Amino acid sequence: MRRAAAARRVSRRVGARPLLKGVHLPEVDEFQTSSGLKVLFAERGPLPLVALQLWLPAGSAADPKRKDGLADFTASLLRRGTRKRTADELNEAVEFCGASLACGAEEDFLSVRINAPSEHLRPMLEILAEVVRWPSFPRKEVESTRTRLLAQLANDLDDPGVVAERALLRALWDDHPYGHDVVGTAKQVRTFTRQDAVAFQRSRFGPRVGLLVIAGQGEARDVKAVAERVFGDWEGGPDRALATPPLQPPVLSGRTLLVDKPEQTQSQIRIGGRGIPRGSEDIFAASLMNTALGGSFTSRLVEAIRVKRGLSYGVSSGFERLMAAGSFAVSTFTKTETTRAAIDLCLLELAKMRRKGPSAEELDVAKRYLTGLFPLRFETNEAVAGALAEIRLYGLGDDWVERYRERLLQVTVEEARRVARKYILAEPPAIVVVGNAAQVKKQLSGLGPVSVREVSQLQ
Amino acid sequence: MPNGLKVRLLSNRAAPIASVYTFFKVGSRNERPGITGISHLFEHMMFNGSKRYGPKQFDRVLESHGGRSNAYTSHDMTVYHEEVAAEALEVVFDLESDRMASLAINDTSLESEREVVKEERRLRVDNEPTGLLDEELGALMWKAHPYRWPVIGWMGDIENIAREDCERYFRTYYAPNNAALYVVGDLDPGRTLALVRRYYGGIPPGPPTPPVVNSEPEQRGERRAVLHHAVHAPSLMLGYHAPSARDEDTLALDVLQYALTVGDGSRLARSLVFERPLVVGVSMDWSWRTDPGAIVFYLELKPDSRPQSVEKALYDELDKVRSHRLSPRELAKAKNNLKSHLLQGLATNSGKAHALGSYELLRGSWRSSLDLASRYEAISAEQVRAASERHLVPEKRSVATLLPSGAGR
Repeated sequence: MRRAAAARRVSRRVGARPLLKGVHLPEVDEFQTSSGLKVLFAERGPLPLVALQLWLPAGSAADPKRKDGLADFTASLLRRGTRKRTADELNEAVEFCGASLACGAEEDFLSVRINAPSEHLRPMLEILAEVVRWPSFPRKEVESTRTRLLAQLANDLDDPGVVAERALLRALWDDHPYGHDVVGTAKQVRTFTRQDAVAFQRSRFGPRVGLLVIAGQGEARDVKAVAERVFGDWEGGPDRALATPPLQPPVLSGRTLLVDKPEQTQSQIRIGGRGIPRGSEDIFAASLMNTALGGSFTSRLVEAIRVKRGLSYGVSSGFERLMAAGSFAVSTFTKTETTRAAIDLCLLELAKMRRKGPSAEELDVAKRYLTGLFPLRFETNEAVAGALAEIRLYGLGDDWVERYRERLLQVTVEEARRVARKYILAEPPAIVVVGNAAQVKKQLSGLGPVSVREVSQLQ
Repeated sequence: MPNGLKVRLLSNRAAPIASVYTFFKVGSRNERPGITGISHLFEHMMFNGSKRYGPKQFDRVLESHGGRSNAYTSHDMTVYHEEVAAEALEVVFDLESDRMASLAINDTSLESEREVVKEERRLRVDNEPTGLLDEELGALMWKAHPYRWPVIGWMGDIENIAREDCERYFRTYYAPNNAALYVVGDLDPGRTLALVRRYYGGIPPGPPTPPVVNSEPEQRGERRAVLHHAVHAPSLMLGYHAPSARDEDTLALDVLQYALTVGDGSRLARSLVFERPLVVGVSMDWSWRTDPGAIVFYLELKPDSRPQSVEKALYDELDKVRSHRLSPRELAKAKNNLKSHLLQGLATNSGKAHALGSYELLRGSWRSSLDLASRYEAISAEQVRAASERHLVPEKRSVATLLPSGAGR
């Protein structure tokens, strides 16, 4: 009894005021090398570690026509040999220090990232410059990387979750630059040549569009001197990033794409539509609304699908926000027999949210949830460097982090309702199901046109 | 504390957040045939209502105070964790101590949660090649020890676990003397300890937990299993019996793991992925366990690779580490990476709390997090070779092969 009373007291006390104890990014030293490369350095302790990241607007959206996956392919070849070192020598130089190197593409950007003990900051910055500026794309490495990627693309078809994500991209965006997975498709990867990678690196990489971010232990003077030494004479490359066209309505709006994997005892389900591009102010209201819809353990979708009916181990909804466009999708999975039941429940919850938006109480809980957990996003050097890069690359404004929670707290019930109407089922959604088509197809009547594909068509 | 609960607090004022980890010394090794998977199903049930906080309340209260929670179950332990705004620490103690003191298992939520866990099993095992292989390998490697069955349990057992089983399980294993609490973050140690005493102090200790008998007989020859599933490429999972986490060889095997598979320049990545491109990926899982455990290699083949050639290539590499020492540079590289990863693991509150708890449970002391780096430093190339020779014994391995349906029949 005494403990129960104490609990009530706690709830009132904490509930009485917003959780806004300071969250700040470290102070940032900002400069440019004489080649025009922007550099951000955030000194940050207490651990003797450092994160180095170079970002370029050369993501999969910049893949040339009929070369889907070339950005990521080029990125993965950067560490397979430079003018100065072989792949083995590069690996040895990085890994001997206890550092790790990652090169890869996302939709909007390509990045080269190194995490290292801070005593090795200088040699790691040299390696970063070397792989970005002087990759040699050895013929043998191009061949073996392509062969390995084709094998991976074949094996990916055995993972129903991966197949569902790829099918959803097709269903939403098709031949828009965001319509293919960053790793590309087997048909097009097969055509990649050394010259393709060389040309991509030459035309898309350059100091004037790049951003170098370093967070961790180190001295600004030092970073500046080394960055100038290794990037100061970097020449060439584009003056500005390619623009990605905005998204048209979802290609399969109101239709269902059923991908046949006859051996499956469980269906993977995706329900998607248009969302919010980066930079839109709607994101604050939309994040809160989505927290109530399918963004947390107590959300409506989890309650309806998992808690009340035990139909799935997981269900969630979310906005994917990119430079030129965004998408919104619900993701879940359930045993073959209950595929339709799960889809209907998702659609019902989406329709309810669209009609009335979140309640005042749901909005309040979502505010506490998102503001309380916000500081978790900046615990490591990689996370801080990533946040600094994101703010710059998407032009979010330097007070983005400091004001983020305040802006969340200002959202009203009316605004949350408005974004629900604007983004949830504004157009009939595209539905993707990956599973046993013979069993699933008969469950889908009345959902609109259904097209069935073999899984091999998604390679 | 007098009731046996271990409490470890670590202050980190860098940001207004904290992590709370509760480790219970119970996992699938404490189960028996017929109720395999109960540890994991039970972990789910811990979120479904206790005496004062009824069904659904745990997450509701926590989320409305700016926190989130999750949990995982392994062969050896069940771990619950929360990330919260620092001001809401007391709420976490209230919620966690309530479910430790008085879990209320209700039939409706047990039935619903059982379905959720079956879906989890369909996701992770039945429709997932690595899950199928892992389950097959466990049953091949162990004849008597409970490591034989998967943590998630056999489907039939999940269906048959009764409420009474869960209640007995709770009384036996969820007492404070079988648990340890780790709190790391923006906290005042004195005030936090007072809160912990207030919320957990009144929970009575339970009886000592029954010991797990290890009757595993010695393996006297290679064991093999072949599975068929609708996949594009074959894959291989190979297991060798290995020592417990507290064994002298444990840290030498950590070094071996790094030399063999961590980084593109590691031995197996270089030879099997890059030089002779036979596989898409290779990994070595050497997870510390309470009882003598396993070293498991997983190889994802290319669609046109032959499992026999890949096995041969792997054995050639393993023979090398059994008969020759790592070079001084390779040894130093492995240690540098181990130390660097140790440090990176301590960058977050959650990482710190989890490290303290795992080391305490598996190695016997949280102080391992302080002295591990220097203990790795002291390991010699000969120790690594000798440990490889002792544990990577061809006659004591088990090999599970997954082949595309229709192949090799």
